[in-house]
Amino acid sequence: MNELIGYLPDFVDGLLVTLGISLAAAVAGLVLGFALNAARMAVPGLSALYRMYVWLIRGTPFLAQLAVIYFGLPVIGLRLEAVEASILSLAVYSGAYFAELFRTAWASVPFGQLEAARVHGISRVRVFWHIQTPQALAFALPLLGNQVILTIKESAVTSIITVPELTMTAGRIVSTTFSYVMPYALLVLSYWLLTSSVAVIARWLGLRMTRHLRG
Amino acid sequence: MNDFSSRFALYWPALIDGALTTLWLCVTGMLAGFVLGVLLHLIANGRSRAGVAFARVYVSFFRGTPMLAQLLLLFYLPSALGMDIPPLVAAAAALALNTAAYQSQILSSGFAAIGKGQIEAASVFALGRYNTLLHIQLPQVLRLTLPALISELIDVIKVSAVVSVISITDLMRVSQQLVSQTYRPLEVYLVAGLFYLLLTSLLSVLGSLLERRWRERC
Repeated sequence: MNELIGYLPDFVDGLLVTLGISLAAAVAGLVLGFALNAARMAVPGLSALYRMYVWLIRGTPFLAQLAVIYFGLPVIGLRLEAVEASILSLAVYSGAYFAELFRTAWASVPFGQLEAARVHGISRVRVFWHIQTPQALAFALPLLGNQVILTIKESAVTSIITVPELTMTAGRIVSTTFSYVMPYALLVLSYWLLTSSVAVIARWLGLRMTRHLRG
Repeated sequence: MNDFSSRFALYWPALIDGALTTLWLCVTGMLAGFVLGVLLHLIANGRSRAGVAFARVYVSFFRGTPMLAQLLLLFYLPSALGMDIPPLVAAAAALALNTAAYQSQILSSGFAAIGKGQIEAASVFALGRYNTLLHIQLPQVLRLTLPALISELIDVIKVSAVVSVISITDLMRVSQQLVSQTYRPLEVYLVAGLFYLLLTSLLSVLGSLLERRWRERC
């Protein structure tokens, strides 16, 4: 027990790495998802490509995607550090989920509004930014937190390619102390605390940023 | 053995083996998780306050933590307590415990969709709670939620890739072994990904077929 307290700073470091790669990947995934959804709507020919991307990413385990990027890409000369490969794969992974979330959000804007806008001669770009985006984002905002949580949970898999995040840190403590239960129990609790906090913050932000809609 | 087709002939049997292990493990975990999920739903809607609180914490815990962390805890906890659990059992149990949390949520919506009148009628006929559950509620719940349950099975298959870390020769582990034999990571992992894609896509087609067929009948 006492020696475990000695490992607490390591745990905090691991937590920060988990948080860092998850947030970096979630932000990149959010931007990617937004861009994918916008591209799908702007260029009708891209929608088959979009569906293919979503199908590939959502139909395979994150670990397989990570393996392709980290172990596979060096074959074609693209060698990434473990942390870089992790952030890239997590972004590619969460991007598909964010894109689908945005697709639903944009579908939630009534079609009649778009027809009305077209009748008034409002350009498609303006319709996108001034009519669809504000409403779609209000729809998507409360749900974004779930995607961030998903990203945090999947980030545990990056321990397999030795990214020094939480799970890897717990594994290292286990292999030096030979006590299994406490480090892993602490590990699970840390994740629980982390995802619960994200859920609470996301709910609060979601309510706050859509306050104007409820009057 | 330089061209891809002859190498693929080498991968094929191993990957099929791995895919069968993955499928078998996931279906086992899924079925056990279904039973646990029903129990969890009953506890969550039971009279006991402690039970309700337990169900809520359970669902929050298993949905809020990574499968990998749950697996590690479950794999090492019994051995620390002096029990020796084979990795395969630990993996199936971890998958079952994990999916039970998700399935209880799916099943709740199914249970809620059944008319109250049916339950009242059953109690008028003195059918008993167990029989009502088994013969009246569950068949309908299963039918109502089957598409959602199939998509949960797809999630279980994807999340099951992490069981490779406790040396279970599932699809992921088998492809790692092939990589260490052939030194062709890109190719092997892409083919392994295709196998996963095949599994999940077939299930997803099955799910939408079932959904369409039942909607026509209703």
